[in-house]
Amino acid sequence: MKQKLLCFFMLGILLIGSAYAQDRRISGRVTAEDDGSPIAGVSVLAVGANIAAQTDNLGTFTIDIPASVTSLEFRYLGYVSQTVTLGSSNNITVVLATDATALSEVVVTGYGTQRRTEFTGAAATVSGSKIADRPVQSFSQGLTGQAAGVNIIQPNGLLNNPPVIRVRGLSSISLSSFPLIVVDGIPISTGDVSSNAATNNPLSDINPADIESIDILKDAASASIYGSRAAAGVLVITTKRGSQGRPRVTYDGWVGVTNAVRLPEVLNAEQYIAYKNAAIDNAFEVNPNFTGAPRNAFVATQDANGNLVDVDWQNDVVYRTAVSQNHNLTFSGGSEKTVYYFSAGITDQDGFLRANNFKRRSARFNIDHQATNWLKLSANINYTNNQNNAPNSGSYSGGAFASSGLGRIAMAQAPNVPVYNENGDYNTEANSIGRGANLVAMQWSNPQVLIDLDKNYSETNRLFANMAAELNLADGLTFKTSYTWDLRNTENHRFWNPINGDGRATNGHAFNQQVRSDNWNWINTLQYQKSFAGVHNLNIVLGSDVQRTRTAGWGGQRQDLGDPFFNQYQGSFLTNTAGGNSINDLAFEAYLGSVSYNYANKYFVSGNFRRDGNSALSANNRWGNFGGASLGWTISEEEFFKSGSIANTVSNFRVRASWGRTGNGNLNSYYGAYNLFGTGIYGSVPSISYSQAGNNELKWETSQQTNVGLDLGFFNNRLSLEANWFNKDIDNMILEVPQAPSKGIPGNSILLNVGAMYNRGFEFAVNAVPIQKGDFTWSTNLNFATLKNEVTALVGDGNPILGYTSSLELSSYTQVGYSAAQIYGVRTAGVNPENGRRIFIDNQGRQVQYQHLGGANSYTLVENGTPVPTSSVTGAAVPLGNTIPTWYGGFNNNLSYRNWDLALNFTFSGGNYIYNGTRAGLLDQRVWNNSTEALNAWTPTNTNTDIPRAIYSDNVSNGSAFLIESNVEKGDFLRLQTATLGYRLPQSVFGASGINSLRLYVQANNLFLITGYTGVDPEISSNGNSNIASGIERNSIPQGRAFTFGVSLGF
Amino acid sequence: MKRIYSKTKSTIVKVAVLSLPLVTLLSSCGDDFLSYPSETSIPEDRAFETPERILSQVNGLYGSAKNGALFGGRYLIYNDIRGEEFRNRTSNVVTGYSSYQFTNDPSDTYIANFWSQGYLTINRINKFLADFDNYPDAVSDELEAQYRAEAKFIRGLTYYALVQLFAKPYTLDNGQSRGLPLRLQPETNSANNELAASSVADVYAQILQDLNDAEAGLPATQGSNNTTRAHKNTAIALKTRVYLAMGRHGDVITEANKIVSASAPFSSPNNVAHVLSADVMALYTQYNTLENIFSFPMADTNAPGTQNQLGYYYNVGNIEYYLNQSAPGIYADREAWPESDARRSLTEVYSDAWHILTKWSGDSPYDDWVPIIRYAEVLLNLAEAEAEVGDQGRAIALLEAVRHRSDPDYEFAGLTSREAILTAIATERRIELLGEGFRIPDLQRRLEPIVSVGAGASIEPSDDRYVYPIPTAEILTNPALVN
Repeated sequence: MKQKLLCFFMLGILLIGSAYAQDRRISGRVTAEDDGSPIAGVSVLAVGANIAAQTDNLGTFTIDIPASVTSLEFRYLGYVSQTVTLGSSNNITVVLATDATALSEVVVTGYGTQRRTEFTGAAATVSGSKIADRPVQSFSQGLTGQAAGVNIIQPNGLLNNPPVIRVRGLSSISLSSFPLIVVDGIPISTGDVSSNAATNNPLSDINPADIESIDILKDAASASIYGSRAAAGVLVITTKRGSQGRPRVTYDGWVGVTNAVRLPEVLNAEQYIAYKNAAIDNAFEVNPNFTGAPRNAFVATQDANGNLVDVDWQNDVVYRTAVSQNHNLTFSGGSEKTVYYFSAGITDQDGFLRANNFKRRSARFNIDHQATNWLKLSANINYTNNQNNAPNSGSYSGGAFASSGLGRIAMAQAPNVPVYNENGDYNTEANSIGRGANLVAMQWSNPQVLIDLDKNYSETNRLFANMAAELNLADGLTFKTSYTWDLRNTENHRFWNPINGDGRATNGHAFNQQVRSDNWNWINTLQYQKSFAGVHNLNIVLGSDVQRTRTAGWGGQRQDLGDPFFNQYQGSFLTNTAGGNSINDLAFEAYLGSVSYNYANKYFVSGNFRRDGNSALSANNRWGNFGGASLGWTISEEEFFKSGSIANTVSNFRVRASWGRTGNGNLNSYYGAYNLFGTGIYGSVPSISYSQAGNNELKWETSQQTNVGLDLGFFNNRLSLEANWFNKDIDNMILEVPQAPSKGIPGNSILLNVGAMYNRGFEFAVNAVPIQKGDFTWSTNLNFATLKNEVTALVGDGNPILGYTSSLELSSYTQVGYSAAQIYGVRTAGVNPENGRRIFIDNQGRQVQYQHLGGANSYTLVENGTPVPTSSVTGAAVPLGNTIPTWYGGFNNNLSYRNWDLALNFTFSGGNYIYNGTRAGLLDQRVWNNSTEALNAWTPTNTNTDIPRAIYSDNVSNGSAFLIESNVEKGDFLRLQTATLGYRLPQSVFGASGINSLRLYVQANNLFLITGYTGVDPEISSNGNSNIASGIERNSIPQGRAFTFGVSLGF
Repeated sequence: MKRIYSKTKSTIVKVAVLSLPLVTLLSSCGDDFLSYPSETSIPEDRAFETPERILSQVNGLYGSAKNGALFGGRYLIYNDIRGEEFRNRTSNVVTGYSSYQFTNDPSDTYIANFWSQGYLTINRINKFLADFDNYPDAVSDELEAQYRAEAKFIRGLTYYALVQLFAKPYTLDNGQSRGLPLRLQPETNSANNELAASSVADVYAQILQDLNDAEAGLPATQGSNNTTRAHKNTAIALKTRVYLAMGRHGDVITEANKIVSASAPFSSPNNVAHVLSADVMALYTQYNTLENIFSFPMADTNAPGTQNQLGYYYNVGNIEYYLNQSAPGIYADREAWPESDARRSLTEVYSDAWHILTKWSGDSPYDDWVPIIRYAEVLLNLAEAEAEVGDQGRAIALLEAVRHRSDPDYEFAGLTSREAILTAIATERRIELLGEGFRIPDLQRRLEPIVSVGAGASIEPSDDRYVYPIPTAEILTNPALVN
């Protein structure tokens, strides 16, 4: 809509005074390159004459021109302008390519919009159409590779698992580094709102098809208008609104299939039996007192027909080919005074993990009405219901070691035991799968039971409602008030069956929780915008913003099923306790102002200021001051430049710089300033105990960022380059400062304002239309960013911050002089070819070999066999590599030929290391199944290998007991994120059917991946959004590959 | 004129419309708008507001020690699974597989949790004792003395547990080896991370001082709460254990004599009249017999938490560990522990492969109380001390009292030498206290190797795995500890 408004404005200017003799009538149609849809409102200009026309809703135009005119120029905001030389035909078809810079023409900054030509900060704009048709659950997943400096990691293939988004690197250590998400003016909560294994990303409450644009404010000068919470960047989501013109109706739908890719190859039954029995023999050879298993404990199990039981747990039981579908219907239109937009959407997506499903039903209605010439009223209402179902995948944040996590069980379950017994019952023994003919008990539960009988469910009902008024008080002076209400009700259900898995010990378990989040904000702004003498352009905004959020949860846990008939919370249980109770209040209050001025669109200066209060900080330090300033110079607007010959080549040349100070208010606890006593029960009497050491000095964490940018346009902006250098210094970091556990501070940490860190880097975005010839157009966007993160100060004289995977495995290390979240483990030096033992580097730099079951000789020096104390190895962890990518980006191509269009979006990232913890499990020598890699283990005849000799029960040599260097791998990759091929049916087909346009397309997601990483996917985060334990893969399910077929229909 | 009027009117209307929201705005945002204290926790300055709330704090100190990471399960578990009595079924690191195999390392988060929960309990006690000074008349002097004594009892018990797991035995060198950081001041801010470890002897001295103070301040009885809250005899009973660990056998006898009569049938002549329960099963089903000197209570609403529950570890809950049916497991020794012994009925044949300990037989959520001090232990502590330095006849009588409660017809053979008596007492402890967290400390205080089934080796006292390493999180934040 914003594009249209500007467009009309421009057209008005162009149409002034047109009176020419018309000799020839040209008509035709203008369509968009990326999806072939007609473009309404395109300016059609007769080159060399002062004549113009505009396309209608069908994209058609008619223009009468004098004979002297030989070419037409087509201009539309957000698209690359095109000049077409007229031939003999009076009917032409024009395909316009999207101008990615420009998507661009308008930047939605805080509390207003700004034309990109006047914008002197750093922001990226992603059009909603880029993500609308992707088979994703939330828009956030579709942003990968779309904007320079924005790195997005989808943790794994679990549906609606919140992605990790980093704008210009890590913004904090203990607070969230997730950017602030503002939807139509209101900041909304992020994270995972589920309390069970079915992840529920609240950003999925917004139907991606309803999004007009996403503006990512990266530099502090533009973000600081959101002062208090902008340190991690801001994503400003603008939803679609109606536009003037006849009613437009569109239907978009797709259906698709998804499969798991890059599953690890594991041993089959025969290999498993032979391998494990050999490992037992080795164990006895090392230690005759070995008691872990008798010799030949692994035995082939036969089914009723005498066939060998050989189960491929991954492909036969846990994963599947999943089918998904999505439908959206929109109606929009309006008169001069009133425009409206209505949409309804439904999506039903199955995950490749069995029993994983996501559904969303949503409706949105908005209306803008010009009540009088000085009063405009708007209202918007959006209701969404989303439902998430999942078994325990072990792939949500904090779930990596879940004993019922299917990601791990699918790999580690023994292949030689059946799913069902002969009588059709589930094969179980105690809490594990039945052992079949094996002589030792199995460890993992039967995944079929978990998939069939356990239930994790999270449902959100969410209402967004907004009313706004805009008053034109005087010439250039506008007052705007906007109240938004965001009410979220989330219900989390969990049921664990009494047969196998997490619910067996409690004979069945149900946990239901209801969370209600009532979030509102009210923004008032007064804006003065005026041009003086045609060259002095002034824009002043003053405003206030208050926001209040109360989130209250309550629920109950029930255990010990009264009758196995029940599988719901409402059934019969013998034990009932409360669970999932919480009340959290948060309030922000802010006053803001911004001024921007430019002289003749050549010299730009702007500044903004915001004073912010945050209830989560201590009473004395609640208020903080934030602000920023920026300068810009558009050299190409200078006369000397315009008159030079360079102007023929360089169409835009601008330099800009900004500086600003923002804050991070994403506190995990809203009560960190208080000393508190928590409540409990001792037996049957009430108790309270010291539960929080507060910090009554807690103040804002601030970030200062400098940005220097350059914009270049060549050949009438057919080729454009945007480059930025940024330096983001974060200080007064609010750190959960680790306290010596012996101090007995609850949680062993106190929130303190200490520490500092920086992120520096370059960002480049190149947009080009390399080929535009007749019916063929190729437009491309390459974005590339570099990032250097370094922690420069922490508490005291360098106590590191340790990170744990799922609170269990010490995996990460954050220390001064390094980038945050280094992999932290013990160095290794391969395997001793003499005896097959793993060689570690101990804390004195010596090579120490490990002999499992070796008693007092477990750890010995390689050189002379002298025993060394265990702690010299286990205490020898060192930083093993950075986990934050140092370069990343996207390469997006759109090609069109006649009615065909092809889009290829590549993403790439690298410079980081990943801890492939899954590999540690795949080489674990307990009863677990192993990867085929284990077949290369050391034997007296296979001595040149890096896989240690297999000794049954060994959980040390391969990294299950503590992190080891041999599982650290490089994370560089190139992925074909999406490939889309579309065909738009010719107009002639529709006749009088009333159909306006019809496009069919096929899309492939994650079609290929080039990487040296051997885990399931280099885009991984088993620890979710964690700042201090990133880059760890541990037992996650893989990513999927999806193929979809879609239809876009316009009436 | 009309135009001017209409323009003015229009402005007035606009300003009126504009002022509506602004007036509301100005009135809605006072200072209170940004002030939201917690509604679900009690602020520190109100923790001593009523006598009931102070009692709640005392309960909270017990509750803190009772946590599943500490006495609510793990203390007992870690002290049994490293020996020869149990075998691991699930090879799960979360439930002690590394300890079982002696492959645990300083980064083991579960052992670190034990350390943390121990010190959290200690800090809560230190804070309670210090804060109490600021509320002199909140309760009667007598009650204040009692509450302080209860706090010190729990602190003594907790330091004892920590020093068992993380420091070499006192008996090795009279406590000269590295002990623990001795935290006695409340810690509520970021200062004082560094504190060197005191010697083992200093830690024991503090434990004894706490228990002596406790004995002085505790009431003779806690009435219906005798098992779940400390009274005089509770502190005395624990002292017999502490002195035994120090090898101070004379002191064991002195303390024990306060609560053990001179000759059979043995009972406590003072305060609560502790006596062996006739029915050994009742100890684990009724929980609060006169033999149960101190236990941590559990309830449906106050369960031990997942993967800490004794019934989950040893019983059908999840059979994490089952009885070792081979020598040298005591369960396999049918001569020392014949079938006629009622304590055999605290075990069960779940399957041929898995014979299990069923002392804790409650179903989920496993709210069996956790026995911490039993009169039977006191009798065996005393028996051992008598055998070492005192009356061997009384030692045998005490030993027989424990045995004959469960196996009345059993006759000890060959109790003719001090060594033989001590061996019999050691064996009796393995049977009587099986699963209750005594095996490893009993070996360690006698400086015997730990016969580990999991490691397939004997772990000698000189082996650095003989006790747990100090957790990484402590070393990194408190480097002074080991200097």
